[in-house]
Amino acid sequence: MPRNDGLPPGTLAMLILRILARGPLHGYGIAQRIRQLSSDALSVEEGSLYPALQKLLLKGWVKAEATVSDTGRSVRAYRLTPAGRKQLEVERANYSRMAKAIALLLESA
Amino acid sequence: MDLRDVKLRARALLAPRQAERDLRDELAFHVDREARKLIDEGMAPATARARAHARFGSVPLVADECRDQRGTAFVDDALRDLRCAVRSFAHAPLASATVVATIAIGLGVVAVLFTFLNTFLFRTDRVPDVEQFYAVERLQPGTDGQSSLTRADFESLRRDTSVFTDAYAAVSGIDLRVDGRAMAVTLVTASFFDLVRVRPSMGRALTAADDAPNGGNPVIVLSDKGWHRRFDRDPDVIGRTVLVGGVPFTVVGVMPEGFRGLVVGAPDFWAPLAQLGAFRPNQRGRESSAVVEIAGRLKPGVSGDSARAQLRAWSANAPASTAERRAAAAATIDVLPHRGTVPRPMEAVMLFAPLFIAFGLILLIGCANVANLLLARGVARQREIGIRLSIGASRGRIVRQLMTESLLLALVAAAGGYVVSRLALTGAVVWVVGMMPADIWDVSLNVPAADWRVALFLVAAAVASTALFALLPALQATRIDPVRTLRGELVRDARPGRARNALIGVQVFASALLLIGASIFLRSGMASSQYDQGFRTADTVMIELVNEPTRTAMLQAIAADAAITQYAAVRPGMLDTLPGLATIGQGKTPLRCKFVSGDYFGVMGVPMLRGRTFTPAERDGAPVVIVSESTARALWPNGNAIGETFRLEPDRPSEGQPEDQPAFSSHLVTVIGVSRDVTGSRFTGNKPGVFMPTSLDAPDTAAMVRIAGDPDLARRTLIEHFIKIDPNLGRIVTMRTVARLEKVFLTIAFSIAVALGALALLLTVSGLFSVLSYLVAQRTKEIGLRMALGAPSRAVTRLVLAQTARPVLYGLVAGTVLAAALATVLLSTPFGAFISPIVHVADPVAYLASVVIIVAACVAAAALPATRAVRLDPMRALREE
Repeated sequence: MPRNDGLPPGTLAMLILRILARGPLHGYGIAQRIRQLSSDALSVEEGSLYPALQKLLLKGWVKAEATVSDTGRSVRAYRLTPAGRKQLEVERANYSRMAKAIALLLESA
Repeated sequence: MDLRDVKLRARALLAPRQAERDLRDELAFHVDREARKLIDEGMAPATARARAHARFGSVPLVADECRDQRGTAFVDDALRDLRCAVRSFAHAPLASATVVATIAIGLGVVAVLFTFLNTFLFRTDRVPDVEQFYAVERLQPGTDGQSSLTRADFESLRRDTSVFTDAYAAVSGIDLRVDGRAMAVTLVTASFFDLVRVRPSMGRALTAADDAPNGGNPVIVLSDKGWHRRFDRDPDVIGRTVLVGGVPFTVVGVMPEGFRGLVVGAPDFWAPLAQLGAFRPNQRGRESSAVVEIAGRLKPGVSGDSARAQLRAWSANAPASTAERRAAAAATIDVLPHRGTVPRPMEAVMLFAPLFIAFGLILLIGCANVANLLLARGVARQREIGIRLSIGASRGRIVRQLMTESLLLALVAAAGGYVVSRLALTGAVVWVVGMMPADIWDVSLNVPAADWRVALFLVAAAVASTALFALLPALQATRIDPVRTLRGELVRDARPGRARNALIGVQVFASALLLIGASIFLRSGMASSQYDQGFRTADTVMIELVNEPTRTAMLQAIAADAAITQYAAVRPGMLDTLPGLATIGQGKTPLRCKFVSGDYFGVMGVPMLRGRTFTPAERDGAPVVIVSESTARALWPNGNAIGETFRLEPDRPSEGQPEDQPAFSSHLVTVIGVSRDVTGSRFTGNKPGVFMPTSLDAPDTAAMVRIAGDPDLARRTLIEHFIKIDPNLGRIVTMRTVARLEKVFLTIAFSIAVALGALALLLTVSGLFSVLSYLVAQRTKEIGLRMALGAPSRAVTRLVLAQTARPVLYGLVAGTVLAAALATVLLSTPFGAFISPIVHVADPVAYLASVVIIVAACVAAAALPATRAVRLDPMRALREE
């Protein structure tokens, strides 16, 4: 059941990849970072993060590894793989192309 | 799907717990961290936790979505279904056990049959290209399919015709004692081993030099069975000698395990046909006129028909005394596919098909039982299913869950069926071996092994029966209206009722079929066990005297034996007779004849009704006869037979006479006595009508002796004594054994039929009982209401009984009609002709009895639930609802 996250479809995956590009992070960290970076402008239902992560895992764009959090609890962290890095570039290119196209359409119409 | 993908999914599949734990931990960590952050910001802990949860959404839902992403949902579902199934069985252990046991029994009996079929069909030792083998037979007119081709014919056929690439001749079924042990030998020409194309596992097979006529070598080739029995699988057996009729034979080879030639039962060894004289002393010196079986591989391109035509031409040119005889010889020659007793796969399937149907009916009844049970449970679960349907579960999903339950049951039942089949097989083999009289053969029957094919068959049958018994209830249970169910209106749909009635009908139909079969067999078996052979069997023993040079010494030993109180001469064997013709005036009457000495009637306890028996002076060729009671009545309806004369002729040409059967010449005889009827074999009904005099001094006669004390013990001592005189002594058989042996095969067939019938009835009754009990329980409210309104208990009973009357009736009619139809078909087959003297297929009493039994059983099955219904306290019944 896909939920409306207030995000254009597919954007969540791109955001995750983008955040992980700066270094490995656990799920909660990713959620926090999305909130911070978007200055709460993008409302991501946090629960939908995890299914998205599962999908990225399956695609091989991220890798899960056991780490210890800053509070001393063991937790799963996600790291971008080379394939993920490539995918991020592809998605970024796609997105900006689409954004440009939409902007063009909005201005010229 | 790349490798990582596979690894992830595999991990989720193989370590579902680990994956689940990781997921749970991760989600919990998230919520915890969020809550802590809110607490750090100054929120109260409880509020913080609630807030964190609200932000996150439903943890289980997220977990579910994660699982969906992993793509293992299908397996997860299946595992959940499985856990659910196990739990639901744990809730109803008795019902589940009943289901498993019922299906296990059904699967077990079918698996028994399949195990047998398996050993037939997939035997690895079959002779390659066995379908190329054709047998040549020249039937003797007036005999029951006895071939009359001799070894000389074989040589001529091999030399002068070109239908076979090669052929062999054999004399099989010779039982004799080797070093004191009963062994079976088949004598073959050396070409036999080349033709079957099976190499010995040790040593060599027979060579042409071994089988040189009027010479050859006294050598034998052991079968695996013979190697085991006589030499205990001694690896140094090659070159050892055994004594056959006092002649040393050398072991030159051992055939591989499982090689049985072209028959199911292998002989203990094979020997060159040229050595026939050593095995049958009375044929010594005339080996080339010995009657042989001939078979060979047809040349490529030669059909059975063209081979027949060629051989008829050959037979017509064979030297024979008159043109008429030559024509007769040509007319009766035949070429038939020869596969010994090894059936081809298709034939094996055909042979087993009726049995599979019979055994399968048990499984069918079991399935119907279980389907009914599940149907009942499905109705009880309507509420649960209704709720699940209404919250969005798909019907397919629920059907799948119900099917998972049934499949699990079926697999447990398959394991149970395996156990049942092994127990039944072992039991049956022990039982059969125990029944086989050990003094005729050393019977060794192995329990057929169950291999992977049996396992595969069991699983396939289990799955197929699951489909049979579970699909209908599963579909039925989900075909409901969720809204009405939720409102608490249990749907008392007409459809489950219809399905249930159909199942009851099927059960009654199947058990009627089986029960009628069983009754027919049982009644025939009872009739046949009361069969009076007309002579003493309790304390008489037949001694074959096969070696003429030692006849005198043997007779002296018999006379000297203290255990033998009386003895007489008889030929041919105990239950055999010779065909003959009585010519009185113009008419010829076929008769069955037997040569006996005057003491025969005393030894065998056959009373003389009139006249006298033979005197010692009346021996071979004396023109006197004794006729049986019924023969006397047939030939002289108004006279007393004594003193009457008639001409007695053999009913077959004297040439082509098998050497081991006595002949008699046409002569005029006078009746001197009338004996009571001797009935002979129950299979062939070989009643001797005329007794002719002979004596123990005549060649080929056997001795019938009366024993004081235990005949089996006497038999063993006799063998010990006689072996010292003649190591090649013939069979010594107690008449008890002969009588028993005839009964053994009947008993086996009857027992199987009766067991199947009883099982069918039992399963049907238990099925009906559980269905009716369930129905009464379900209709408690209605019944209570009726009774509260003053319905008499009779009406309630009728209500319960009426529930099943119609399907029972339909099932009975269908079963009876089909049984009658099958009987008609069976009677028209050769097998039907064989069993018709024993099994009376058209037996109205059997039909009637079966119908009565089934009706009675159904009433009995309904009685208890009906009683329970009548005893219902109307008020309580109404309150409970």
